[in-house]
This record gives sequence, structure tokens and C-alpha cells, in this order.
Amino acid sequence: MINSLKGLWVTLVSTVNGLRQPVTQQYPQTGTFWKRVDTPTPVKDRFMGFPGLTWDGKIDEPYCTGCMVCIRNCPTLCMSATMKDNPAHEEGHSHRRKIVDSFEINLNRCILCGICVEVCNFDAIAMTHEHELSNFARNAARMDLPALLELGQDFQDKTGWIPPNERAKKAKEDEIENGDGVDNPEPAPENAELEQA
Amino acid sequence: MAEERAQQSSSPVAGAEPVEMLLNMGPQHPSTHGVFRMVLWVDGEKIVDLEPHIGYLHRGSEKLCEGEQYNQVITLFDRMDYIANFNNEMAYCMAVEKLMGLEVPERAEYARVILCELNRIASHLLFVATMGLDAGAMTPSMFCFRGRERIQSLFEAVSGARMMHNYFRIGGLKEDLPENFNQLLTDLLPLIHEDVEESDKLLTFNEIFLARLKDVGVMSAEDAIDFGFTGPCLRASGVNYDLRKAMPYSVYDRFDFDVPLGLDGDSWDRHYVRVQEMYESLKIIQQALEQMPEGNVASSLGRRLVRPPKGEVFMRAENPRGDFGVYLVSDGTDKPYRVKIRPPSFCNLSAIKHLLKGIWLADSVVVLGSLDIVLGEVDR
Amino acid sequence: MLSIPILGVSLADFGWIVLGLMAMFGALSGIVLSLTWLERKVLGRLQRRLGPTRTGPMGLLQPIADSIKLILKEDIVPSSSEKAVFWAAPLIVVISAFMIWVTIPGTHAAVVKNLDLGLFYIIAFAVVGILGLVLAGWGSANKYGTLGGLRAAAQLISYEIPIIMVVVSVAMLAESLDIREVVNGQSSYPYLAVQPLGLVIFFIAGLAEVGRTPFDIYFAESEIVGGPFIEYSGAHWSVFFLAEYINTFAIAALVALLFIGGWAGPWLSGNWGIVWFLIKAYGVVLVIFWIRGTLPRLRIDQLMAFAWKVMVPLSFLTVVITAIYQFYDWPAWTLTIMSLVGLVAVAIIIFRKMVGPANQVAEVWARQQALRAQTAATEQRTTTGQ
Repeated sequence: MINSLKGLWVTLVSTVNGLRQPVTQQYPQTGTFWKRVDTPTPVKDRFMGFPGLTWDGKIDEPYCTGCMVCIRNCPTLCMSATMKDNPAHEEGHSHRRKIVDSFEINLNRCILCGICVEVCNFDAIAMTHEHELSNFARNAARMDLPALLELGQDFQDKTGWIPPNERAKKAKEDEIENGDGVDNPEPAPENAELEQA
Repeated sequence: MAEERAQQSSSPVAGAEPVEMLLNMGPQHPSTHGVFRMVLWVDGEKIVDLEPHIGYLHRGSEKLCEGEQYNQVITLFDRMDYIANFNNEMAYCMAVEKLMGLEVPERAEYARVILCELNRIASHLLFVATMGLDAGAMTPSMFCFRGRERIQSLFEAVSGARMMHNYFRIGGLKEDLPENFNQLLTDLLPLIHEDVEESDKLLTFNEIFLARLKDVGVMSAEDAIDFGFTGPCLRASGVNYDLRKAMPYSVYDRFDFDVPLGLDGDSWDRHYVRVQEMYESLKIIQQALEQMPEGNVASSLGRRLVRPPKGEVFMRAENPRGDFGVYLVSDGTDKPYRVKIRPPSFCNLSAIKHLLKGIWLADSVVVLGSLDIVLGEVDR
Repeated sequence: MLSIPILGVSLADFGWIVLGLMAMFGALSGIVLSLTWLERKVLGRLQRRLGPTRTGPMGLLQPIADSIKLILKEDIVPSSSEKAVFWAAPLIVVISAFMIWVTIPGTHAAVVKNLDLGLFYIIAFAVVGILGLVLAGWGSANKYGTLGGLRAAAQLISYEIPIIMVVVSVAMLAESLDIREVVNGQSSYPYLAVQPLGLVIFFIAGLAEVGRTPFDIYFAESEIVGGPFIEYSGAHWSVFFLAEYINTFAIAALVALLFIGGWAGPWLSGNWGIVWFLIKAYGVVLVIFWIRGTLPRLRIDQLMAFAWKVMVPLSFLTVVITAIYQFYDWPAWTLTIMSLVGLVAVAIIIFRKMVGPANQVAEVWARQQALRAQTAATEQRTTTGQ
């Protein structure tokens, strides 16, 4: 009896608070009926949405070389790729000898685990912040190379993405500048050590 | 069988022929917590007999593990008990680490404990929510989801995903905690405390709720041990057994916390033990946050492929639902030879027939809810 | 020329009654639409959600969208069902719900047909709805439906008795079964002041009568998944829905009329009194929603025990104290005191009944603490022993 009344009091307080400051928010638009504003869902920096392929703006080609490490490491086998000789390398513009020819990810199968990003040696794939890909067609979530690059480009533009390798290099340099890492100036030989499955 | 049931059934009218009805509850039923199915023989509103059916969510996870590399298996463990993902990852990673004799960096251990305890709170909040819904109260569920949402958005900031984190690695963590993690967590803890208290005020001591849950589905301590109960369900029966105290793993021996116990072993005790556990988890998180050292979290393996030596290992961890055991056989390759999981929900669920026989139909929902099963783990 | 009798009344009267019925139907539909919106919005705010927002300003068009959806949905009739019963059940429920409103006045004039035995008529028709629920449960050939129908029969019939007894005590105070007279009788003070016990019993029994939380046992969603309504869809289901809300509002209106003074209120007189009536009735409805948002559901045996062990004796008590008061012609405050004593008795009984478990909890706590201390002591002993 007393606790039920207490419960009624709790809900009353909650109502007052709810009128002032509701917890939920509207999606995908906020605002009143008369004026609606598109509001994207706020996501955290590390949010892992669908994977996209990144674009090397300096050389104007994708980072991806089609080495297929991500494909071998994907737990759900949702990707496939082919590689080709890089024409830009022959012309001398690029340091990449090989470049991705075709790439396909079935985002319906993707479980957003982020393993592909972790194993990539070329910063070529990133978990974008895109998470709204509902479609009417069954196979519409199969993304080919241009679509994936577009996803990645969008992500790069929006978040100012820095390639992880560059970030690591910069961190190392900062460390050296600060005088902490003078004793071990050799670069990390991680990639050389990487065992192939 | 039918005659046997007829004898067992307690007809309200003495000497009257019991009229039995076969009632199929689930897999599409709002209160079977997923796709659990019970075939009930009811005499009016009393349950005479029942037959549980599981396997509607069977995905063959144990077999799938055999085809994945050790690091990929973590994603499968995320999806076993999909309410307490971090705890599952923890159990699996600890098993492989034990097999390889790996040392985990201190900071990573503390980060794991904090995340696991937060996940325990999130899981118990969901339990309180569904318990309220099973008993017919809809508002506590909303309040609890608010608290769970806060925890999940912290998880998102840490691991990039709200539920399927894939954040723990064998021998460490995927990456360091975000820079503002301490601040985020310090802000979060009082809010969660408030949420837990609010749902407590609204539901736990409500008279109707008490009348519904008290003395319903009573499990004596002996029976609980015999049925292989673990976790809060066992402690509700008054058995002081918590792996974090009994066999401290990770850094749990460095924290000061109580193990809440119930005495009657009824549904309400199972509810209340979980509510108290949330407060204890908050205590652990507070201490872990204070003690957490700076330093490295990455695995000493680096990016090398995980290849444990030949051998087998069994590792247990205290999940929100009980002992989560991982039995692992390695043949020295990069993929496990065999993975066997001891799911706490499955073992707790095995007592359902014992608990439900002879009680009201309406109580079956409440008792099932108080066991807090997750079908992803039961069926695997 | 207007004196041609149709069904025993003159043509003019017949025309007025038809018009009145149409107006009542329209008004009730509007009220039901507003109630569905209000319930969703109130529950939303209570749970710190927003409630409907997308359809119209503040989601005001939501009930209209809902009703369009329901009407356009396919009306599925299970092949194993008893077709005639399955079709007739919603009609019985909704017609009885509407029939109640024929004699519930909004103001002195705003009533389709005022009856001298209005309260008797209302109670008589309230029972008919139960038949519809039982038929719906049985006719849909679903076991959950059958269970729900039987639960409905048990629950609603048990709670009819306290309602009848409280209505009798109110009728004794007003010395009439005519609702207008009851409202006029409250010109000096509302019966709330002299019959708080009656109000509480009527309100609780009313909640049970319309199956609102904590008494939503016959369609308990988490147990029997909608009970009698489980197999209904589309327009048929919406008819049940309509009846449920009309009944809810009828209980709220009866509480307003019998205990809070109906359309009487300051500043507004005559037909404007309907504003007071609506304010009071909606206020009661809000309380019903508030309770729905807070309390869990009782079990069927607890519900029946509560009805027969608490509500029925106390409702007889209301009749007895009212009779004593009327017979000896005591001043009004004596009845208030007697009623309050009764109310305290209710509180104590509920407290005893419900708090038993809570006491157990305290006991468990104490035992738990003792156990903990004991284990700590033994641990200490073993460590020191070593």
C-alpha cells in the first residue's frame, strides 16, 4: 500500500520531469509538426558502421591494393576483391605496384566486427559512420567498388580521417621529439612479422 | 503418461475428474524471452505438467568456432549471450590466454573488469525491465532501458559498437580506452545509481509485485545445487558461491565487494539479488577506476596470428547469469579444434519443469522471467 | 400529425431519440479517439517518452490514422472458429457499452433518454458485456482466448457485486435511482465528502470492471496474450477497443456523477455544466492512466480473494452505515466518519494482505545480515585458528 503510493509518486515526478525534459528524441527528424529538421543520429568517434574503402587524395587513387588480407580474415566471408597492375605506378605517380580492380562487400552479411580494418596494412578500409542502409531490393546492400569508395569518401570528408599508419608514425615522431623514444629509433617491424594464414 | 498426470493434478473439486488442456506457450509468445517454447498441460489455471522445447535459436556456434581463427571466434562469443557481450568475450579470451600462458597488461585487466561490470549492470537492468513487464508493469522497463542506454552509449564510445563489441583481444584489448573515459565513467556512475534506485522504488517493493513474486517458484539450496544452478539464481537460494570471490580471476581479488544472498530462493529473491548485485558492481567499478594504472593495453602478441600450443583448457567466468565455462581443445593450428560452452542460462533453465509444476499459469511467466534466460546462449 | 406511434412512442419523440442516439454515438466516438491519444501521450510522458509526434501537431491525428489502419486491415476469421459467435461477440460487447450511455447524462438536459431507474439499467447492461467477452473467447477456438474469456467471466461477475452495493448506498443517500436526482442531491455537498469508502470501492471495482491495470487479468498481454481478443484483427478488434474505452469513460463518468457532483460547479450553469462534467470525468480517466503506468498486475486468485474477502464485505458495510445514517437521520458528518473508519479498515486489510510479503522481506534482510555476520565470524575463526 505504502510502496504502491510511493510508486505513484515516482511516476508523478517522472511525468513532471518527462514534460520538461523527455529522454527519447525523435528520429530521423526533430522539431514540431510544422517545421521538421533532419537530425542525423549522433554517433561516437569510434562508432563502427558499414565498412567503406578510403581514397588517397594525394595520389588520387584508392589506398586499397587488393591484397585480400581482409577477405581472408573476414569471419563471415562477406567480401571479395581482385587486383590489377597499377597504371599510375608505371607512369611513376604512385608507389603502389598493384591496385584494386574490383571489390564487393555484401553488407547484409557484414557483422560490423572491424576485423578487416584491424588487419589491413594499407589503411585501405575503414568502418564508416554510415548505419542506415535499408533498401527495398534484396541485393541492394551488395556494394561494389565505386559505392564503397563513395561511402569511404563521405566518411573521410565528415570526420577528417587520418590513416592509422600515419597516425602511428606521427605518434612515434612526437615521442622522439619529447625525448622518450630516442633509445629505440628503429621503425616497428610489425608488418614484416605478420604471419600469413 | 496421461494417467500419471491425472494423478498428479490437484483438481480444485475433490473427486472430480481433472480436465486437462494442452497449451502451447511459445515460441511466439511475448513472455518466453526469445524463442523458448513450453508445452503445458493445464487443469484450469494450474499447470499439471510441462515439456520445454529449446533449439529455435540454434546457430551451431560451437561448430562454427572450429572454422574460425582464434581472433575471429571472439565475434561468435559476442553473440552467445547477447545481453552480456563483454563478459563472454572475457571468458573466451581468458581461456585462450590460460592455454598460451599469456600475461595481460595491468591496465587491460582493469579495463576489462570495468567493462564487464558495466555490462553486468546493463544485463541486470534489462532483467528488471523484463521482470516488470512479465508482472504487468510497463513503466519500470522504460526507466531501466534509459539506464541501459547510457551504459551502451559508453560502450559505443569505447568499442565502437553498442552490443557486438569485438573489443577484447587475446592478451589485451583492441585499442586503448578513449582519452575521456575516466570523465565519462565518473559522470555515468551517479546517473546509473539513480536509475537503479528509481526502478527499485517503483517495482521491487511494490506490494502487488511482492504478492506476485514472493513464494512463487521456490528453489531450495539443495535443489539449486543439484540442478546445477549458478549465478544470481543460486545465490538467491542462499548459497554463497560467486566465482569472483570463490575463484578470483583477472583482478577481482583486489576489490572489496559483498555477495548478495537471498534466503528463500523464490522469484522475488532472484529479482532482489540481482538488484543488489547492481549496487555491488557499481562499487567494483568505482574501485577499479581509482586503481586503474596507466600504460599499455595491447596484447604482447602484437598482430601475430594466435597459435596456442597443443592442449586443452577449461576456464570459467562469472557472467550476469552464472558460470560461463569455455572448454577449448587446441591442436596447435590457428583454429580451435573444439570449443564447448557451458552456458549458465541452459543449466538454470533445466529446472523449469521442477519449478513450474503445480503452480498458476500466470506464475509460469514470472518464474521463467526470474531465471533470466537468454536464448542465444541456451541454444547457441 | 406527429402522433403516429412508432414502437410505442410518437414520431416526434422517436425522431428526437434517433437524433440523440446519433449525437451520442458521435460524441462517444470523439471521446474514444481523444482517450486513445491521451492514453498514449500520458503514458509516454509518464515514462519520459514523447508519445505520438509524427501525425499532426503533437500527434493529434494519431487516433484517426489508427482507426483508418484498423478498418483497412484484413479481418481474419480463424477457420476453426465458431463463425456466428465469433462475429456476434464484438457486437454484444460494443452494443452493451453504448447502451449504458443512453441514460448517462452530461447535464440535466444532455441525455438521450433519462430513466427513473437509470442506475439499475446501467448495472443491468454492464453485465451483458461479459457475455460478449466469454463468447469471443470461446468462439475463436483458441485456448488462450478460452482462458481469457473464463477469467473475464469470473472477474467481472465478482466485481459486479461491490459496484451494485455501492450504487445502492448512493441511491439510498439520494433516495432515487435516477442519476439526475443523484446529481441534484449533491447540490450542498458531493457524496465524496460523506462516502469516501464508497468512492474507493467503486473506483477499484470499476477498474476491475473495465479490466484496467492492475486488474487487466483477462487480457493480460504477458500471460495469455490478449485473452478473448487474441484471434481478432482489423475492424472486429477495433470494435472491442472502442467498447473498452467507452466502458473506461463510463466508469469515469459514473464516478464523476455519483461522487464528485456531476455537472455542478462554480461559474458555469445550465448546459454549460457539461464542461465541469467533462473536466471531472477526464480527471478520473487521467488517474486511471496514471495507475496503469505504475502498478503491476495481480494474479487471478489474488484478484478473486480481494473481491470476495475485502471488497464485497466492505461494500455491504457501506450499505449498512448509509442505512443507519438515513434511518436515524444523523448529521452528514457522522456518515463521513463512519465511512472513513471503513476506509481505514480497507487500508489495514490491504496492508495486511499485501504487506505480508514485505514483512517477509524485512525478515529475509535480517536473516541475511545475520548469516553474513556469522560467515564472517567463522571465516575469522578459521583464519585465526590457522
